[in-house]
Order: sequence, then C-alpha cells, then structure tokens
Amino acid sequence: MNNSKTKRAIQIICVFFLIIIFNTSSKAQERINITYIKIEVDGLSCPFCAYGLEKELKKIAGSDSVMILLKEGEAIMKVPNSQIPTKESLEKIVIDAGFTPRGITFSKITSAIKEE
Amino acid sequence: MGTPILLGLDGGGIRTFGKYIAKENMKIYTHPIIIPYNISSKFQIGAIGMFVNKNFERINSQSGIGDASLFAKYQVYQKDGKGKTFRLITKLNQVFPTGKASSMPPIGSNAWQTQLGLVSGYVTLKYGLYAELAYTFTTNGLPDNFIYNIAFVYPLLPQKYPPKQVNLNIGFNGNYLSSINRNTIFMSSGVQLIVGKKILFETGIQLPLIENVPNTQKTKFIYTLGTRVLLF
Repeated sequence: MNNSKTKRAIQIICVFFLIIIFNTSSKAQERINITYIKIEVDGLSCPFCAYGLEKELKKIAGSDSVMILLKEGEAIMKVPNSQIPTKESLEKIVIDAGFTPRGITFSKITSAIKEE
Repeated sequence: MGTPILLGLDGGGIRTFGKYIAKENMKIYTHPIIIPYNISSKFQIGAIGMFVNKNFERINSQSGIGDASLFAKYQVYQKDGKGKTFRLITKLNQVFPTGKASSMPPIGSNAWQTQLGLVSGYVTLKYGLYAELAYTFTTNGLPDNFIYNIAFVYPLLPQKYPPKQVNLNIGFNGNYLSSINRNTIFMSSGVQLIVGKKILFETGIQLPLIENVPNTQKTKFIYTLGTRVLLF
C-alpha cells in the first residue's frame, strides 16, 4: 500500500519536472526565434503625436509588442525571426509618421538593446 | 489659435470645441468640428463645419449652420533632434459664405474669406513654443485682417507614453484689421488634459488686453471647451 503511494508520488514529481523542463525549453526556443529592434527616433517630443508611430509599427506582421520611450527617443519592438522587417521599411514608417530615424539596431537578446 | 496647434500631426482624428464669446451687446456660441486628413507626413487637408448661436441684446436669438471652411497645410521645414522638433508650416484656409446672412443677427459672414498663413513650433519634452502669422483677404466690404499669435506650453507632468499629461498654455492673440486700422490683442490661458493615446480635453479663456473697437462691440471674455480624438 505504502509502495503504491510512493510510486504515485514519484510519478507526479516526474510529470511536474517534465512540464517545467518542457516549458523552459519552449521559452528558450521562443527567445531564440525572436529579434528585438531598437529604432532611435528624432522629433519624438509630444506623447499625443507618438500614437501614429506606434500604430504603424504595430502593423508589421508578428509585431505583438511595441514600446515607445519618449525620454530616450526610441521605439523598441520584437518580431519573429521569420518576419524581420528591413531597415529601409522601418525608416519609411518613421518618416511617414512625421519623425526622423537616427539609427536602427537588430538584436537577438534584449540586454544588447538595453545596453546600447 | 485658442489652443496650441499640434503642427498637423493630428491627422486621422477630429477636433471639436464649444466657444462662448461674451460681448457687450451680444452672446455668441460657436461649435466647430474640424476634420483633418493627412495626405502625407507633410501635407494635410481638412474641413470645418460649424454650429452658431447668436443672442443679440437678449432680444433676437438665431441659431444655425455657420460658414464652412476647407483648409490645407504643408510642412515646409522640419528639424528634429532627440526629444525636440522645430517645424514650419504654411496654411491656406478658405471660408465659404454658407451661413444664413439674412437673419438678425446674421449667422454667416456673407463673405468669402481666404487666409494665408505661416505656423511655426519648437516643441521639446519640457516645453513648446508656437507662433502664427496669417493674413485674411475678405470680400463684400468686410475688412481684411492680419493675425499674429504666440503661445507657450508647459507640461506639468513628466512626458511619457502612453500619455497621462496635463499641459498649461499661455499666449497672446493679435488681430489687426488693416483696412480700417483697428487692433485687438487677447491674452489666452488654458489647460490640456491628455488621458490616453487617442483622446485629449482642452479648455481655455481669452481676455482682451487691447480692443480698439466701438464700445458696444467690445468683448468681455471668450471661453472654450473641447476635445481632440484620434479615430484611426
């Protein structure tokens, strides 16, 4: 009876660890498949005006996350590796929104974006 | 220029406000709706429709659709830096005499009015400076006028996105009626409340500093209350 309970407990623990390993692995895989893009934007001086830029950046396929940093003059976004936009297309979006692109950085890791 | 101009960056939305003008002999309420559309990042067109109510000496009151306008703005210069921008915009505004002019008091101006102007703005995350010069050519015996406006805008809260902001503004609005040599200067003060990415509310009051017009036509104050909404 006790043996059966112990086996059951071990099974549950194993399943639990398998779930954790699988989840960690998928998150790592997801990180590998994501590219972070930092767009340095000149002229971002009005929060109400930044909506146009955010809206256009969000139209990029797969772009589920766009962050506008007014103080830093930057737009940060993440896209799947399969749908990375070209530098030229991003510059056009910034210009069409009424701003001036200063620099665009592509990176596989967020820390690189933050440090730069 | 009751409230500072967003330099044409507000295309894709509408602006509307109520304006109450208290004169010595008349109370006027106008409610324009301004619909701009950005053809490109530098070129904007738009239309203005207006409801007008005029109450003359508390005896005669008239309401109706006032004069309609079409406008075009073209940005001729833009210099951007980190968290700051300077822009220079030319504008053309054409007023059509669509408002009823036969009533007493009249709702419309009964005159075609063509305004050519230059608007400039230097906007940083810490403050904004705006200036406007414009000349209006009129028909039907109305005097031409020269408009000269300046405004200073100060954000009370740190600028961030999505915005939650309160902006204070103060300005001077001049109007020189060239053909009859009369001048008015109003001091304007107002508040903008930005509550989200797509909507802001604004209110302001204008008081006359110099008003070189007949006593019965003098203005006591002008009060505005309105909103700007980005639709798409």
